[in-house]
Amino acid sequence: MSEPSVTTVAPAWALAAVAILGALVVLAAALDGALTARGNDAASGAGGGVATPLWEAARLMRQRRRRTVEADGMLWRLGGAGLVVTAVLMVAVVPLGEWTIFDLDVGVMWFNAMDVMVWALVWLTGWGANSAHSLVGGYRFLAHGLGYELPLMFALVAPVIAAESLNVGRVAAAQENSLWFGLWMPVAFLVYCLGVVAFSVWGPFAPALGADIASGVGAELSGVDRLVFEVGRYALLAAGSAFAVPMFLGGGAGPLLPGWTWVLIKTVSLLLLFIWLRRRLPALRPDKFMELGWMVLLPAVLVQDLVVAVVMVWRG
Amino acid sequence: MDAFARSATRRAHVLLVEVPGQWRTRAAVERAVLTRGWSLAMSPADADVLAVCGRPRPQLEKATGLVWHQMSGPRVRVDVADDAPAAEALDQAQARLLGTEHHRHDSDSRPVAAHLLSANKGHDQESLNHGSMDHGDGDDGTMRHDGGDESGGEGMDHGSMGHESMDRGDEGDGTMRHDGGDEGGGEGMDHGSMGHESMDHGGHGGHGGHGGNGGNGGNGGNGGNGGMEMAPGGIALAEGGEDRDGLEMDVLYVRLGPVLPHWPAGLVLRCALQGDVITEAQAEILDAETQQRHAGPTAGPAAGLAAGPARILDNTVSLLALAGWEDAAAEARRVRDAVLEGGDRASCAVKLDRLRAKVARSRVLRWSLRGIRPLGHEELERHGLPPHLDGDTYDRLLGMLERAGDSNGKLASPLPLDKLPHLVTGLDLAAARLVIASLDVHELQPGHVHDETSGA
Amino acid sequence: MVADIGFWVLGLVAVMAGAAVFYVNSMARATYALALSFIAVGLQVLFLQQNYVGVVIILMMVMEMAVMAVYMVMFMGMNPALMPMSMVHDSKKALAVAIGTFLTLAAGVLLVDWPARRVAPPAEVTRALGEELMGPKMLVMAVISPVMVATIVAGVVLAAHRTRYDRFGDDLNHRPADDPQPGGVGR
Repeated sequence: MSEPSVTTVAPAWALAAVAILGALVVLAAALDGALTARGNDAASGAGGGVATPLWEAARLMRQRRRRTVEADGMLWRLGGAGLVVTAVLMVAVVPLGEWTIFDLDVGVMWFNAMDVMVWALVWLTGWGANSAHSLVGGYRFLAHGLGYELPLMFALVAPVIAAESLNVGRVAAAQENSLWFGLWMPVAFLVYCLGVVAFSVWGPFAPALGADIASGVGAELSGVDRLVFEVGRYALLAAGSAFAVPMFLGGGAGPLLPGWTWVLIKTVSLLLLFIWLRRRLPALRPDKFMELGWMVLLPAVLVQDLVVAVVMVWRG
Repeated sequence: MDAFARSATRRAHVLLVEVPGQWRTRAAVERAVLTRGWSLAMSPADADVLAVCGRPRPQLEKATGLVWHQMSGPRVRVDVADDAPAAEALDQAQARLLGTEHHRHDSDSRPVAAHLLSANKGHDQESLNHGSMDHGDGDDGTMRHDGGDESGGEGMDHGSMGHESMDRGDEGDGTMRHDGGDEGGGEGMDHGSMGHESMDHGGHGGHGGHGGNGGNGGNGGNGGNGGMEMAPGGIALAEGGEDRDGLEMDVLYVRLGPVLPHWPAGLVLRCALQGDVITEAQAEILDAETQQRHAGPTAGPAAGLAAGPARILDNTVSLLALAGWEDAAAEARRVRDAVLEGGDRASCAVKLDRLRAKVARSRVLRWSLRGIRPLGHEELERHGLPPHLDGDTYDRLLGMLERAGDSNGKLASPLPLDKLPHLVTGLDLAAARLVIASLDVHELQPGHVHDETSGA
Repeated sequence: MVADIGFWVLGLVAVMAGAAVFYVNSMARATYALALSFIAVGLQVLFLQQNYVGVVIILMMVMEMAVMAVYMVMFMGMNPALMPMSMVHDSKKALAVAIGTFLTLAAGVLLVDWPARRVAPPAEVTRALGEELMGPKMLVMAVISPVMVATIVAGVVLAAHRTRYDRFGDDLNHRPADDPQPGGVGR
């Protein structure tokens, strides 16, 4: 093995990573607030909705927590808090330009393991409240999970085959002076994006929080519990966007600006795209999506992997 | 601190309670909430403000009271009368939300969960004394497990609860693999209904928003009936039953409504759920006896010609929101409000055309709604349903948008309530909600309460 | 030093969480106590520099537990978190067997004369481990896995009481298929 493609920084820099993740969360929530305000024709006095994250956070901090009868409070709250932790652990392996906090040789698998954690956490949030709607929401998420997880795993395999490494820094480095993986593996990139939206319980993958079951998994959350849960969702979306940069979007590659700026620019662009998409698509109902995942997405992404493998062998 | 409280009320979430016939008031409040940059709450946990649109009659008032108990503080209830300006009511709500001292007092004086559970028990039995009473003797059916002192029978005094498992008594032991002694299966049913009764969403008993005490809520709830071991916290455990694949699966009794967003006003649907599939349902309109039909503003002078199209658009909003498409739902809401405000007809028509084109263009929506509960002509005729409900849910959505274009449209005739259970049985919750929204209910006609069991 | 402490703490967490599976009285807690135990083991494997194996343990086990919770709840049939129920059967015998097994294995760990490391570990330890374990039997293993998948699929097909004749009619020409829950592809 040659020298590492990124330098590992002191663990204290993890705080900086958390701060960046936090900033992305606020940015994402602000854009979502603005889009919601525009969609609802909110009066201009409401500040165009940009301040939504601030008002919502204040509101939820002021609201009292509640509990339901016979709730499993520990598991319930573990679910919400775990989402934030998972998102932080995800970005730990994402190199910011040339620096990384955790240069794990199997970083891609690490990310994958973290996104599987979301299965457990969302279900626990749904379960712990001891409420029928919450529970239905939790199971809906697992149903979605069965549909999106395998395609997502095989989508992550494509760049790994091309880079011949599970190390995130190396995958990014493999795209230097060549076409970005996102461009010549469009199917894998698309399925990956779908997966990110899905594990963030976002937009078309939000039936687990659906209006038809009184916001499902979130039906009983209030106050700080809801705040943590919502922050967790945004953080997962941001972490997923950040991870796409080294995997599919060339990492820090870009003209003029230093690498880390490009990483941030690409992350923010993808994140804002996800935010923008939320209101624009109807829900993909889990019962229908499951078959789509297995019958269409999985074969498609396997073919993508095969194509990538053949190309790599052919290139020598 | 003051600035904090002010920012906290900048974006309050409002849970709407609609009194049957008061959809215009609800639409006005909805509009006012969204224009001031507030948000519509989907559940009591999410809400700061409970906005009651119209004057609720006793049963709905009671249900509203229970929802009120589930809201965590700071909380405010505003009653918006027929023609009162909604914006003023919300201003008032915001002002009251700011009173921190008041809310502190409010949370100190909350009743504990146990009291709520016991207080609501008696009422439920009264109001539920219809339906399958004849199952009262089935108590031993559920008791084929090695429990000690069981008590049954008691729980059968109300509607659909329990009789499913009564019929198939051999399931009991399948669900009881813990080595507890004394169980009272039939008894449990009773508390189950109590737990969900009048909650806007079922599955749990009343909430102690103030923490603590959830654990022993069952004590009060149990009254003197015994068998409480099967109903921890006053909530019954699910009982087994055969699912549509012929496998044993738990049956959980859950009430949908009356306080539920995008749900016909005053409707309560009692569902037996296996997983999230409705295997049995029973529909009821709250305050059916005291309700004066064809009264209220729907028939008043303010109704005008726009009533029909606006009502249809209102239902379209619900259907699109339930399908998870927020942009389209918001647009439909804008068109509805334009029609309700009696705006220029031509511009309304243009907006409606745009909405219709948008909806028809969406392949994802079509993919998602196609094939949900198709209704043929014969079936509609047999059930006395209007012919425009022909087709599946997607067809019905397009039909609604088509009919909304008829600017002379009047409100549709009331839909017979007793047909609803038949239409949703066998569907999962999501599909059932979509189907009910797609029926374009303008008003429900209370009738004989009807039971529907899936053929399986 | 820090690594040593970390390793032993994780070991403790793994054992305690494993014991908690039988101590707690709710299915969800038992399931996720087991998941926690596996996560701790996975992290321990990371300390052994078997990064791939460690992360895969975490990935697979969390996913498995999420699915297991579904089945457990489905088969045992209890409302969420409601009924406190014992997670053990025949506890005396089980306890004896469990303690016996643990002691035997632990004794094995302590008594075996482990070889000392002679050379530096290879660059790709996962691969080296795989070859050491599988060696010449790699082909057999590679064949067995599709056979296992085929067995699972066949088992499900045989167990399902609905056949294609139920879906497509006796002449297999009934379209769309008659399914209690139609899928999203329109087969």
